[in-house]
Amino acid sequence: MSRARAIFIKQAKDMFRNPMMLIQFIIYPAVAFIMTELIAKSNPDISNNMFVTMMGAIFAGMALILSMSSVIAEDVERKSLRLLVMAGVKPHEYLLGAGGFILLAGIIVSGVFGLIGDFTGAELIKFLAVMAAATSASIVLGAIIGMLAKNRQTASAIATPLAMILGFAPMVASFNETAEKAASFLYTQQLNVLVNDFSASFSKAMAVIGVNILVLLAVFVFAYRKKGLKG
Amino acid sequence: MIRMNGVVKRFSQQTVLSDVTFCVQKQEIFGLLGPSGAGKTTIINILTNQLQADGGSHGIDAAASETGLMLDEDGLYTRLSCVENLNVFADIYAIPRKKSLEALESVGLADAAKKPVNKLSRGMRQRLALARAILHSPKILFLDEPTSGLDPAAARGIHKLIHNLRDSGATVFLTTHNMDEAVKLCDNVALLHKGRIVEHGAPAEICERHSAMKTSPDLESVFIILTGVELE
Repeated sequence: MSRARAIFIKQAKDMFRNPMMLIQFIIYPAVAFIMTELIAKSNPDISNNMFVTMMGAIFAGMALILSMSSVIAEDVERKSLRLLVMAGVKPHEYLLGAGGFILLAGIIVSGVFGLIGDFTGAELIKFLAVMAAATSASIVLGAIIGMLAKNRQTASAIATPLAMILGFAPMVASFNETAEKAASFLYTQQLNVLVNDFSASFSKAMAVIGVNILVLLAVFVFAYRKKGLKG
Repeated sequence: MIRMNGVVKRFSQQTVLSDVTFCVQKQEIFGLLGPSGAGKTTIINILTNQLQADGGSHGIDAAASETGLMLDEDGLYTRLSCVENLNVFADIYAIPRKKSLEALESVGLADAAKKPVNKLSRGMRQRLALARAILHSPKILFLDEPTSGLDPAAARGIHKLIHNLRDSGATVFLTTHNMDEAVKLCDNVALLHKGRIVEHGAPAEICERHSAMKTSPDLESVFIILTGVELE
């Protein structure tokens, strides 16, 4: 665990000195707060939580894919990852270290979303749990993209459309039954269903997200072994 | 000890290493010389298990954790300071963080310990990469073009450090395309051309062997005699 801890500390220091990365964790809750205060609270037809759940789902389902892929692609591009592999860092240690900090930051930001929103106690717990689970899935997916990309530009070119597909799949699903069936296997759809309707099946949503995470983890381990030394 | 015996490596259909054989003794500075594209980095990658050979055998008498590696690209975290960069690896190797400061001192970067890497000159970055490679006191050190792009004064500093490392018990395996550097630094060298070792031994012995073809030849002219091409 000392190796994962070393990478976690490195990631924390690195992120606070990287304004491009830092802004991703500030902009979404800031927009949710402004829109809730300016629009939702003054309009009785709009739920107080509308912008919180919308921005929260975009943050957990889309933004974190871009953040994580950028972190890993940077390590691949400058050959730091190769040195870590040579120093004996294992795939799970690297993911725990680099992804662990992004996950922690993601959970803190989810907490901020929770504070902005108008949730009951049980709703808040469900919201935080599903946000944490979706954040985990996005982090692993971002890590895979970062690992397979040659550099940050390539990572961004892959991550952006993929994040948009995952992010907009729930919207398409709400208009088309076939799309809804297909999207029900995606963690972003389950995130969207749950944050918009807390009476939906929590265990089913979490199970689907859990399977997504396991599949993505298997792909990550494969990618790390294949690309870790080539980077 | 480091050894390669009949190693062959192909990328797609192209053979980049053919029947590469050499042996490096403990506490020796061994230089692999050749122009760009000769296969020097491929040999380091095979010895450090970053690449698999397609034929032959190879081995080093040290565990992976007992080797130090300086790549052709430094791999430093540019937003972190010098000491923070080394602390990441000190924590990974589970050695005390005070070793980071000692390593910085040994490469003459103690005064720049808190300076961010993106504010360092190229020479300072090279020295920091070397400090990271020696941080855990490795038995075997692989250095890929350690003085590439450095000014003569900075290169001399690296040479001195490599000699000190050898004197403290390390075996040093380096690649270079600089013949003067090889003569000054190495106990033994191998001349590599198009993936084949065309000559090996102590620099003085190699020059002596080819003295019949040219009066007082240096390594550069021996390389030209053997391959018909210039190194630099």
